[in-house]
Amino acid sequence: MTLGRFLLRRALFALLLTFVASSAALLLTLLSPGDFAADGTFGDPELMAARRTQLGLDRPVAAQYADWVSRAVRLDFGQSLLYSRPVAGLLGERALNTAVLAAAALGVATVLGIPLGIYTGTRQRGAGVRVVRTLSVVMLSMPPLIASLVMVLFAARTGWFPVGGMMSAGASEMSWAGWMADVAHHIPLPALALALPLAATLERLQGQAMSDAIRQPFVRAAEARGLSSDQAMLRHGWRVSLGAVLGLYGLMIGSLFSGSFIVEVVTAWPGLGRLMYDALRARDLYLVAGCAAAGAFCLAVGTFLADVLLAVADPRAHMEARS
Amino acid sequence: MNRHSRALLTILIVAAILIPYWLLNRDRTPPPSALLPAAAPVPTRGGSAVASTRTDPRSFNRLVHGQIATEIVSMLTLGKLVRIDRVTQQLEPWLAERWEASPDNQIFTLRLRDGLRWSDGVPFTSADVLFTLDAVYDPRTQSSLASALKPGGQPLARSAPDARTVVVTFPGVFAPGIRILDNLPIFPKHKLEAALAAGEFAKAWTADTPPSELVSMGPFMLTQYAPAQRMVFDRNPHYWRRDEREVQLPYLDRLTIELVPDQEAEVVRLQSGRTDFMQHGLRPSDLATLRPLELQGRLQIEELGVSPNADSFVFNLRPERWAKDPRGAWFNRKEFRQALSHAIDREAFSDAVFLGTAVPIHGPITPGNKDWFWASVPRYEFSREKARALLAGLGLANRDQDEWLEDERGNEARFTALVFRGNAVLERSAAVIRDDLRQLGVAVDIVPLEPNSILQRIVGGDFDAAFVQFFASDTDPANSKDFWLSSGGVHLWNIGQKAPATDWERQIDELMIRQSATIDMDERRRLFNEVQRIFAENLPILYFAAPRVYIAASARLINLYPALTPPEIIWSADTLAIRDGGTSR
Repeated sequence: MTLGRFLLRRALFALLLTFVASSAALLLTLLSPGDFAADGTFGDPELMAARRTQLGLDRPVAAQYADWVSRAVRLDFGQSLLYSRPVAGLLGERALNTAVLAAAALGVATVLGIPLGIYTGTRQRGAGVRVVRTLSVVMLSMPPLIASLVMVLFAARTGWFPVGGMMSAGASEMSWAGWMADVAHHIPLPALALALPLAATLERLQGQAMSDAIRQPFVRAAEARGLSSDQAMLRHGWRVSLGAVLGLYGLMIGSLFSGSFIVEVVTAWPGLGRLMYDALRARDLYLVAGCAAAGAFCLAVGTFLADVLLAVADPRAHMEARS
Repeated sequence: MNRHSRALLTILIVAAILIPYWLLNRDRTPPPSALLPAAAPVPTRGGSAVASTRTDPRSFNRLVHGQIATEIVSMLTLGKLVRIDRVTQQLEPWLAERWEASPDNQIFTLRLRDGLRWSDGVPFTSADVLFTLDAVYDPRTQSSLASALKPGGQPLARSAPDARTVVVTFPGVFAPGIRILDNLPIFPKHKLEAALAAGEFAKAWTADTPPSELVSMGPFMLTQYAPAQRMVFDRNPHYWRRDEREVQLPYLDRLTIELVPDQEAEVVRLQSGRTDFMQHGLRPSDLATLRPLELQGRLQIEELGVSPNADSFVFNLRPERWAKDPRGAWFNRKEFRQALSHAIDREAFSDAVFLGTAVPIHGPITPGNKDWFWASVPRYEFSREKARALLAGLGLANRDQDEWLEDERGNEARFTALVFRGNAVLERSAAVIRDDLRQLGVAVDIVPLEPNSILQRIVGGDFDAAFVQFFASDTDPANSKDFWLSSGGVHLWNIGQKAPATDWERQIDELMIRQSATIDMDERRRLFNEVQRIFAENLPILYFAAPRVYIAASARLINLYPALTPPEIIWSADTLAIRDGGTSR
């Protein structure tokens, strides 16, 4: 398969995934009981009915869906009922905030998870290995809600970090450098709440893959050619072991974009996950569909990036793809 | 691993345990200046405070949206002609400095204060008042306030003889009189006239409107809004109100409201001193968490009394709902609901749900509503024997030796109760009721749903029972006619009837109409007690407990004037001040 065809296939896959996910989200929101017109308070039923008519929510589900599809193919995702703003603009703002958080979390998870995985994968025994593995199990079994609350509590008790939010009240009046420093001060705790379970996943996966890789004949052969054990492990064993780990990155990117809503809610991070949460609670169907589309698109892009990285790290995978 | 490595590892593990322990438990006693002094300090201007709330405003247009964050923006940035003091429940002059009523109590002439100005310097006149009423009554606005401002179903007639005088004429005698104007924030004609003329008022002042385009008549101006992060309100330099020393209010230079969607995170912020107060009162579980901080002098916690609002267990009494359902033969009978009321141990309910911070109640008017609470309202004391006897009288008995009662046709005594998902108090309440009724042999299937879904189901009549929260806008029952009248939009058990479906609802309708058209207060109370008696006999809604309301605020905040109803502290934000003149946050 040529690179062009590979890219085309991936692009089509991304479009299909985005369309299916957003359609499913829209239809499920339409079919589930309750709609936006209730406004979260008891009120005049006639007023509610008038609002429903004005917003077009009293039309048949098929008509509403067809209307949405006809606009979505022109990249018009409609107007958010909740915020009275175009969905695309809202998604852009919030996706950027989530991207900042996701990149930080991914970086922390990689910096912690991969080296620890190499460490536990190449040393089968020892107190250090046991400590790392125990911590990994604890992190993996800790729900994001608890992890976030622990981080918020830590910030509150120590005063070392802001308790939540993305920037301070006066940040918009700061210089660019001041603004960056302010965001950087806010980011560690939500990023850690997201990163620690991912780091634990990476450690477990990298450790297992590394443990398998160092037993491969080509690693032994490299040692026989005169490379030290560490050199053979890092130059040959690690690259091969990355295959399993990189495969996970695509899913991690997607989950960071679409599944971080608990962390965003608890730490008051104004990201895509929180937007989705607010949209679902208010039954803002166009915003729900838009958020689902953004999450699915990020998942597709993440998977694609992971494939590219995998091809770079392990030429055998590249060859398989070409054949 | 050699000895040195082991020792190092041991030190690391011990440090990993001890350092977080120290961080979380180190003494954080505040400096003496933060401790509460014995004498009440004199409030002075300056400083800023930080509050938190859980949701973004859907709009800045209170005429259209009634959600709490929109209400907060309205309270801080707009003014009303008259205001109900939420602590005393008395009507007080606000933008109108005085008023006169005609002998028949139908025509009110209100005189506006001299020199009132919007935050942009434009004079505030009677034209703004007429404009706002026009906007409310314009059907294109779809105002959420329109119904409350139509006593007897008719709009108020209004005129403005001059720039400082507004004349409001009621369609008939209406006992609360201009108390209903407490519902009405006045909007600026000079900013929104074009929108109303174009039929676009509902789309004006949305949450997307830049704060610089808004003008204020309240104590603060919205100067920054970062969606999902915070709203920043700065002092309105043209605010009209002064304290007894002629100091212009508000005392605070700035009030920031952080948007924190998670309630636990909100409490942690208050604990850490990052916020000064929360928009809502404390949950029972928060009290135990925050009491130690009160002892350290870092927080002030105040019990305000019993809430005038209580959670409502609503039965669907629409005849059409039960026309084809065989359960209707007993579900629709008042004896069934009386039996359920007997079966709930309200003392135990208060302890289990509110951790002892609630009082048992037997009707919608709680002891927190001092003017209208009737201590002699009929009660259903806890008695499973009486409950079983009432159910037996309906033909409900355990016929197949299982856990549940059945009627004569073999239908189980079972129904579904909807409950607001994510509302811990309501979910816990529903679980207690389910367990209590299970001991009686009545099965309740609890279904948690999003609030919007439940509201829509109640409006559409698609439910058996529902456990809901809703707040009356005023303690005067005449201002809650939407709830009491069979034609009302909040007559939850059978909304919007064209004619009363039952004889007791017809009686309540008649009594409420007479009550709201009677000026004599003693007579009004007598009529309303009769309404409460009929309600208690027929029990379309069960009430179990009214919580005591607690608020917490940082010790640096002074001059609080908290009310029993939310938003307890923000409603009087113009009097809030920072101790010793205010260090900015």
